[in-house]
Amino acid sequence: MAQIEQEYQGNVILELKEVSKTFPQVEKNSDPRRHGVLDRLNLRVREGEFVTIVGTSGCGKSTLLNIIAGLDAPDSGSISAKRDNKNTGKAERVVIFQEGALFPWLTVTDNVEFGLKIAGIPKELRKEIASNFIEMVSLTRFAGSYVYQLSGGMKQRVAIARALALDPQILLMDEPFAALDVQTREILHEQLLQIHKSTGKTILFVTHNINEAVQLGDRIILLSPHTRGIKREIVIDYPKPHDIDSPEISAIRRELLNELQEDFKFAKSHP
Amino acid sequence: MQKAILEARKQEYRPDTTDIANVVLFLAAFVGIWQLVSNIGIFPSVLMPTPAKVIETIARLVTDSSMTVGIGVTMWRLLAGFAMAVGIGGAVGLTMVKFQGFGKTMSSFAVGLLTFPSIAWVPFSILLIGFNDFGILFVVIMASVFSVMTSTYGSIRNVPPIYIRAAKNMGASGFALLRYVMIPAATPSLIMGIRQAWSFAWHALIGAEILITTLYGLGHVLHVGREFNDMSQIIAVMIAIFAIGLLVDRLVFMRLEEKVRARWGLNQHNE
Ligand SMILES: Nc1ncnc2c1ncn2[C@@H]1O[C@H](COP(=O)(O)OP(=O)(O)O)[C@@H](O)[C@H]1O
Ligand SMILES: [Mg+2]
Repeated sequence: MAQIEQEYQGNVILELKEVSKTFPQVEKNSDPRRHGVLDRLNLRVREGEFVTIVGTSGCGKSTLLNIIAGLDAPDSGSISAKRDNKNTGKAERVVIFQEGALFPWLTVTDNVEFGLKIAGIPKELRKEIASNFIEMVSLTRFAGSYVYQLSGGMKQRVAIARALALDPQILLMDEPFAALDVQTREILHEQLLQIHKSTGKTILFVTHNINEAVQLGDRIILLSPHTRGIKREIVIDYPKPHDIDSPEISAIRRELLNELQEDFKFAKSHP
Repeated sequence: MQKAILEARKQEYRPDTTDIANVVLFLAAFVGIWQLVSNIGIFPSVLMPTPAKVIETIARLVTDSSMTVGIGVTMWRLLAGFAMAVGIGGAVGLTMVKFQGFGKTMSSFAVGLLTFPSIAWVPFSILLIGFNDFGILFVVIMASVFSVMTSTYGSIRNVPPIYIRAAKNMGASGFALLRYVMIPAATPSLIMGIRQAWSFAWHALIGAEILITTLYGLGHVLHVGREFNDMSQIIAVMIAIFAIGLLVDRLVFMRLEEKVRARWGLNQHNE
C-alpha cells in the first residue's frame, strides 16, 4: 500500500475523499431511515490508469460511477479532478452506459458529433474529429447508419467513439459489454486495450465479471456491500491483455471470487 | 450483410400491393351493393341515387368549381387551425413540462377537455366571434389544441431518462437539451398525438362548416345539398370528405409514423 501511495504522488488525476451516498428507502416511503450505499469511500486514480471496479449486483458500482461523472451528488465528501482546459468538449468525465444510450434519431456520425455540437465546435472540425474516432473503432463504413442498423457490439463501439470525441480526461464505463456475446466481448476488449494504449486515457471500468476485470485492469477495486466501500485493491503488474489462465492471474481470480462469494452471502442475509 | 439489411429496410417503405388490392376489392363490393340497393328501389331514387348519378354530380360540382373551391377553402382552414393548435398546444405543453405545478393542474384540465365534444364549442364561438372564418377556426383549434398539449406534455415526460443522463453528461443543458434530445426523443409519441389532434380538427371543421354558415367550404356544400334536398350532392361531398380524411391520414401521418418508428428502432418485432 505504501508503495502505491508513493507512486501516486504528482500524477493523480482523480481523487475521492470520504464520499458517502444514501438513498431513500424504496418500499417504505414514510421510513425516515435511508439506505446507505457508499460510506466514506476514498479513491485515487493515476493519470492513464485502467482501473476495473467489481462487486456484487447492487453494491453501488453504478452509484460510484455516476457520482464521479457528476450525474449524482454525494451526500458528503469531495471529488477533485485535475483540470484540463484543452479538451474539445464541455465534458471531462464521460460515461459509456451498458445500454449504449446512443440517440436513435441520429446517424453514427451525428451521435459521435453530439457533444461537440453542444460545445459549439464548428462543423468542419466536428466532422473531422468524428470521422477520426469512427475510424478508430473501425466503423467508417457505418458512419451514415442509424442505431437500429447496428449490432450490439457496434453500438458500444459508437458509444466509445462518442465519448472519445469529447477528449475527456476520464472514460467511465458502466458494464459496457455485459449485454454482448463472448466473442464480441473478446474483440471489444482487444480494441479497448488498443485505444487505451494509443490515447493514454484514464479508464474506470465497472463490471460484475471477474474475468473481464482481471483481463483489463491495471488495478482492480472490489466494492463490497459489507464495507459500503472498497474492500480490496489488487494491482496487476503484468503486460496486457492479462492471460487469465496464467498461474498468477488465476490466483488473483480465485481470491476475488472468494471475496465476491462472501459478499454475495452477506447481501442475501442483509436485503 | 449490411447492404442486405439496408435493402430490406427500403422495402418496408414500398406501398403494399396486397393492401391496395384489398381496398380496390372493398370499394368494388361496396359500389356493387349500392347499385343493387338503388336498382331494387327500396328507397325513392331521389333519396338513393345510383353510383352513376353521384359520379355525374361530382363531375358537375368539379366543373362549376364549387367542389374544388370547397376543398381548397376547407383544407386551408384545416391547415391554419391545425397549425395554430400545434403551435399553441406545443408551447403550452412545453411550459407544462417546465413548471411542474402548472403542468399537473393544466394536465387534468386538458384531459377533461379532451373528451369534450368539439361541436359544443359552436354556439359559444358564434356568439363570441360570429359567422365567419375565425369562428370556424376557433372551433377547430379548441377541438385539437388539448390533444397536442397533453401529448407534448406526456411525450416529453416519458423520454427515457438514460438519454437525458447521457446528454447531460456530454455537456447538454437547458434549451440545447430540449431542442436536441427531449423533443427528438419524444417524436414517435408526439407524432401519434398530433395524428390524433389532426383527426379531431378534421371532425370539428366539417361540423363547424355545416353549422357556422359562410359561403365556402365542403361543409357548406353539404349544407347546400340539404337545403335543396339534393341527396346526390350530399353523398358526393361525403365521398370527398371520406377520401380527404383517408388520404391525409395514410399519406402523411401513417407514413411519417412508420418512418419515425423504424428509425427510432421501435419496429423491432419486424426483424
Ligand atoms: N435512484 C435510486 N433511488 C433509490 N435507490 C437507488 C437508486 N439508485 C440506486 N439505488 C440503490 O443503491 C444500491 C446500489 O445501486 P447501484 O449503484 O445501481 O448498484 P450496482 O451498479 O453495483 O449494481 C442498490 O441497492 C439500489 O437499489
Ligand atoms: Mg450497475
